[in-house]
Amino acid sequence: MTSFERLQNRMVGNPVDRPPNFDIMMQFATRHIDKPLRDYYLDHRVLVQANMAMLNDFQLDIVQAISDPYREAFDLGLEVSFPEQSLPISTSPLLREPSDLARLTTVDPVNGRRMHDRLEAIRLFREKVGGCTPIMGWVEGALAEAADLRGVSTLMLDLFERPDWVIELLEFCCEQAILFARAQMAAGADIIGLGDAVASQVSPAWYRLYALPYERRIFQAVKNSGGIARLHICGDTTLILHEMATSGADIVDIDWMVDYQKAAEISDNDGPAICGNFDPVKIMLQGSPEQVREAVINCLSIGGDKNLSAAGCEIPINTPYSNLHAQTAALSEYYSMA
Amino acid sequence: MSEFVEQLALCVERGKVNRESLYPPDLHGQDGTDELAKQALEQGLKPDTILEGCILGMDRIGAKFSENKAFVPELLMAAKAMTAAMTHLKPFFQSGAVKRKGTFVIGTVAGDLHDIGKNLVAMVVEGGGFEVIDLGTNVTTAKFLASIEEHPGCSVGMSALLTTTMVNMEGTIKAIKEKYPETLVLVGGAPVTKQYADKIGADGYSPDPQGAVAILNKKVA
Ligand code: B1M
Repeated sequence: MTSFERLQNRMVGNPVDRPPNFDIMMQFATRHIDKPLRDYYLDHRVLVQANMAMLNDFQLDIVQAISDPYREAFDLGLEVSFPEQSLPISTSPLLREPSDLARLTTVDPVNGRRMHDRLEAIRLFREKVGGCTPIMGWVEGALAEAADLRGVSTLMLDLFERPDWVIELLEFCCEQAILFARAQMAAGADIIGLGDAVASQVSPAWYRLYALPYERRIFQAVKNSGGIARLHICGDTTLILHEMATSGADIVDIDWMVDYQKAAEISDNDGPAICGNFDPVKIMLQGSPEQVREAVINCLSIGGDKNLSAAGCEIPINTPYSNLHAQTAALSEYYSMA
Repeated sequence: MSEFVEQLALCVERGKVNRESLYPPDLHGQDGTDELAKQALEQGLKPDTILEGCILGMDRIGAKFSENKAFVPELLMAAKAMTAAMTHLKPFFQSGAVKRKGTFVIGTVAGDLHDIGKNLVAMVVEGGGFEVIDLGTNVTTAKFLASIEEHPGCSVGMSALLTTTMVNMEGTIKAIKEKYPETLVLVGGAPVTKQYADKIGADGYSPDPQGAVAILNKKVA
C-alpha cells in the first residue's frame, strides 16, 4: 500500500496496513540532514531533501512544504530575518497604523520570493514522489495572517476597537490565502494545510465571527481545485471543536491539550478525520520510547477508524530518534493487534 | 470598599477605556477608566485608591480567564483600560508623591517571538505599582544587560514559550548574575517550570502574572 492509498482509505474508515503517520516535521527534519535552519526556510531544495529523509528514515506518510508562518507576510513586505540556526524572526509589524492597510495589495504567489519557493518545493516533491506520497502545501488562515501583519496583541485590541477595519484586513488575508492555495494546488499539492494558531486564543463566539468564515472560504477554494483540506489550530481548541468540523476540513488536527475522546465525536458519521494528539514535548521530546508507544496506541484506539497518527503539533528539534522509531513501530503493532 | 473602587474595577474588568470607546457596547457613552481616574484625583482621592481599583479589576478578569469565561483578547483589553487609569498616576510617580515600588525589565528571550503572555505580565506588573521597561521579543543577553545598566536596581523578567528558546534563559541569567549579582531574575512562560527555574539559577518563577507581582512585592517589602 502506498502512503497515498493509506491516506485515502483511512480517511473514509476503510482498512489500511497501518494508520498513516502525519507528524509535522520542520526543525527536526532539518537537523536530521545536518543543514542550517535558515536553509530550510529559504531554499526549497533543502526543505525537500529534509522531507525525503523523513520518508526514508522514519516512514512518514506525507511530505510537507510547511515551514514557518511568514511566507505570505514576507512577500507582502513584512521584515523577517533568518538567523542561521534559529527560527525566522519578525520584530516589527507591517501594519503599524490601520491606514497602512490601504497600501497593501495581494501578491501573485508566482512573483513572491518566499511563496514562489514553496511552489518550487511542491513541484520538486511531485517529481520525486507524486502519486505515491501525499504532498502537503500550506497557507496561513486569515486571522493568523492578520496577526502576523499587525502583531497579535494589537490585533486582539483592534477586534474590540475597530472591528470593521479588522474585517477588511481579514478579507484581504483571505484573498491572499486563496491565491496561494490555488497556486500550490496547480503546482501539484494534494493537501492544503491551513494554520490558524491564534484562533485558540479567542472566545468561541469570536472564532465563529473572525476565523471560521474565512477558513470555510479558503477550504472551498481548495476543494474546488480537487484538494484535501487540513485544519491546524495549535493550542486548546476544546470549546470550538464542533465549529472546526464545519470548516470544510477533511482532516482536523487536534493539539495535545484537547481530550481526544471528545475530539473523536466530530469524526462521527460524515465528520472529518481527526489527527493527533499526543504531547510533542512531554511525550515525544522528553518521554521514553515506551511512553511514546503507549500514547500512539491510546490515540489510535480512541480516535476512531479515520484518525491519523501525529503529535499535537510540530515534532521538537531535539526529539530522540528512538521515540520516532517507537511511533513507527506502534503503528505497525496496532495493525497487527486489530 | 468605596463605590469608586468598585466602579473603576468594573471598567477595568470590562475593558472600558474612555467615554468614546465603542467597547463594551452596553457601556457606550459612559465614563471609562480614563475619566474615572482623572475625576478621582481632582476630587482629592488618594492615588492608591486608583491602584486598588485597577488591581481588583485585573484580579476579577484573571479569575474569569482561569475558568475559560474570558479569553486573551478580553484580558488584553482589561489591561489596556488599566493602563489608561494608570497614566494619570504618572505625575505622582515622577514627583515622588507616590513611589513606584521598583523597576521591572521584561522581555521574551532570544529566538522567541511569542509576546501575548509577556505583554500580560508587563501590564499586570505595571498595575501592581512597578515601572515596566518592555524590551519586546527576541531579546538578547546583551540587550538585557544594557537595560539593567540603564536602570540600576531593577528586577528582570524573562518569558519563553518554546522548549528550544527557554534554554537561552540559562546563559542570560548567568551573564546577569556575573555582572549584577544583586538583580532579581524572574522567569515564566508555558513550558517553564519551578524545577527548571531553580536549575538555571532564576530567583523566582510564576505560572501567571499575579504570581510575578507577588514575588516582586516580596522583594520590595
Ligand atoms: C517573568 O515572569 C513571567 C511569569 C509568568 C509568565 C511569563 C513570565 N510569561 C508568561 N507567563 C504566564 O503568564 C501568561 C498569562 O497567564 C501565560 O503566558 P502564555 O504565553 O503561556 O499564554 C498566553 C497568555 C496565551 N498563549 C499564547 O500566546 C501562545 C498560543 C499558541 C497557540 C501559539 C501562538 C499564538 C503563536 N505561535 Co507558537 N503558539 C503556541 C501556543 C499553543 C498554546 N499554548 O496554546 C506554541 C507556544 N507555539 C509553538 C511553536 C512550535 C511555534 N510557534 C510559533 C509561532 C507562533 C505564532 C507567531 C503563530 C503565534 C505567536 C504570536 C505572538 N506574537 O505571540 C513558531 C515560533 C515562532 C518564534 N520564533 O517564536 C513555532 C516554532 C511554529 C513554527 N514552526 O513556526 C509550540 C511550542 C512547543 C514548545 N513547547 O516548544 C506551541 C505550544 C504550540 C504547540 N502546540 O506545539 C503564562 O505562561
